[in-house]
Amino acid sequence: MPLLEIEHLKKYFSTPRGLVHAVDDVSFSINKGETMGLVGESGCGKSTLGRTIIHLQESTGGIIKFEDKDVTNLGKEGLRKLREDMQIIFQDPYSSLNPRLTIHDTIVEPLMLSKRFDSKGLEAEANRLMDLVGIEQRFRMSYPHELDGGRRQRAGIARAIALNPKFIVCDEPVSALDVSIQAQILNLLMDLQEEYGLTYLFVTHDLSVVRHISTNICVMYLGQMVETCPTKELFDNPLHPYTKALLSAIPTVDIRHKQERIILKGEINSPINPKPGCRFALRCPYAEAQCNEPVVLREISEGHFCSCCRINEI
Amino acid sequence: MVKKESKHNFFSVRDLRVEYASGQEVIHAVNGVSFELESGTTIGLVGETGAGKTSIARAIMRILPDYATKSVSGKVDFKAEELLELPESEMRLLRGKSISMIFQDPMTALNPVKKVVDQIAEGVRLHQNTSKRESIEIAIKMLEMVGISEDRAYEYPHQFSGGMKQRVVIAIALACNPEILIADEPTTALDVTIQAQVLELMKELKEKLGTAMILITHDLGVVAEVCDTVAVVYAGELVEYGTKERVFDKPSHPYTQGLFNALPDLSKNVKRLTPIEGLPPDPSNLPKGCAFASRCPFVTEECKKDKIDMIKISENHQVRCIRCEEE
Repeated sequence: MPLLEIEHLKKYFSTPRGLVHAVDDVSFSINKGETMGLVGESGCGKSTLGRTIIHLQESTGGIIKFEDKDVTNLGKEGLRKLREDMQIIFQDPYSSLNPRLTIHDTIVEPLMLSKRFDSKGLEAEANRLMDLVGIEQRFRMSYPHELDGGRRQRAGIARAIALNPKFIVCDEPVSALDVSIQAQILNLLMDLQEEYGLTYLFVTHDLSVVRHISTNICVMYLGQMVETCPTKELFDNPLHPYTKALLSAIPTVDIRHKQERIILKGEINSPINPKPGCRFALRCPYAEAQCNEPVVLREISEGHFCSCCRINEI
Repeated sequence: MVKKESKHNFFSVRDLRVEYASGQEVIHAVNGVSFELESGTTIGLVGETGAGKTSIARAIMRILPDYATKSVSGKVDFKAEELLELPESEMRLLRGKSISMIFQDPMTALNPVKKVVDQIAEGVRLHQNTSKRESIEIAIKMLEMVGISEDRAYEYPHQFSGGMKQRVVIAIALACNPEILIADEPTTALDVTIQAQVLELMKELKEKLGTAMILITHDLGVVAEVCDTVAVVYAGELVEYGTKERVFDKPSHPYTQGLFNALPDLSKNVKRLTPIEGLPPDPSNLPKGCAFASRCPFVTEECKKDKIDMIKISENHQVRCIRCEEE
């Protein structure tokens, strides 16, 4: 059963130059205990999508369903309840923690706001959370600037899981960390998922990370979903030309087997007032006149959706 | 043998050390780094944040911040000249002409109030004694070489995307046909598809102009892509140094092995990643013995006693670990 469903979700920002279509008609669902990986380049709207789902920004259109209830337009009290179930881990552990709160206070804050604990229970719970995410007790009274990036991100994770949420948006949680530390944090996130049955929306630009952690993957380009399917299927059988280019662009450490690389021309174009038709067409090596017609996401094989209209020919 | 001698005279770094002063503490950022670069080849310096990679590059260019730098020692030989001992006036003639640098963050490396074409022409005019008009012509040619058309040349950096800005930075660095290009994390701030474009461009330029390169990165994938030799940096020291084939086929230092194991592998399905436990040592308080000892799964008492020397395990491969033996 899906824990979270979004249908035709839209988020537009108005700017002096026009409407930025940051998220444009995206639909998917995430089952309980699974991880949806959201991949794309910077500016494709993946972070906006994550933030819109947990109501850090109000959506422009579409429906967000959580546990089968429509939670798109909630009042203040409803949102407060919902936020106990939906949390976020931010990309940059350097700027997402309050520099004037100690690690202990950062973790205790959500516990206090929930009014679930008395003062004694509060301390015990804070200690339990610190152990759980692997922050040593001697850092309790440290401020964020005294910690390294890995520990800071652990504090961010402790804060996010403090109220036993069901759903967490992980917004590039490891991209600011070194590889050796990145592996520690990914393992922690997977352990927590197993133990508490958490459901993740994992936003990242790093395909090797997403392959490691996700059940399903959704590839975004300029606000739209261009392809979605189970992780294995995406890596074995990518259909959309953009997905193919993205996969081929990852530098691998294998120096013997060099894969054929698809070098895209140009850059991601502007999301302001986009024209109808495939948004990738300007950079696509296979673009033709028909690509200027509006595109729809079609189910190509079971569970594998792709928006390219020429996949049978290329 | 004579041939080898002349090759070695192109560029080499010997026992480079950099110390910073921070309050009462001395930060040992670079602790005796030595490597060689042959003309037309690329060396990759790989390591984590704070390992001292950028300090090495800045020491070579002699652009370390005066206020924080306590001492720089060692030798940097470039075509029989000792760079660390050149008077600043002569160094200035080399910088940007014979040796130039690409900085990590294209967003901050450009002057925001100057048109990009002028930023490229500036260096050309300084080093090649050309007229203003000629230097602009060269600048436009450079822009075209990195794939930016002439009609964008008179724009300001904020009108460019990240990938384009990085290409402008590359154009500035290459405008005077340097013999050595130091690239400090040139693609880290870029998306994968743009990174692929920039790496392709750098490979092309290397082939076309024969520029030697020192590539600083934390990404082993990027090293696999463009480098000929690899030097793994940990706590300001090289812990492994060799040809790319040797280091990638047979990583021998536990830290290098750890780096490879910590990567999520695209071609394999593993349930758990193998991180390197712990953290790098504090550079103001380095351990007496091996700097990696506190994180090393194979550590022995012997490792903690004394500094470990580089051990040559084969003709093109050196490792700083007492467990390694010559093949």
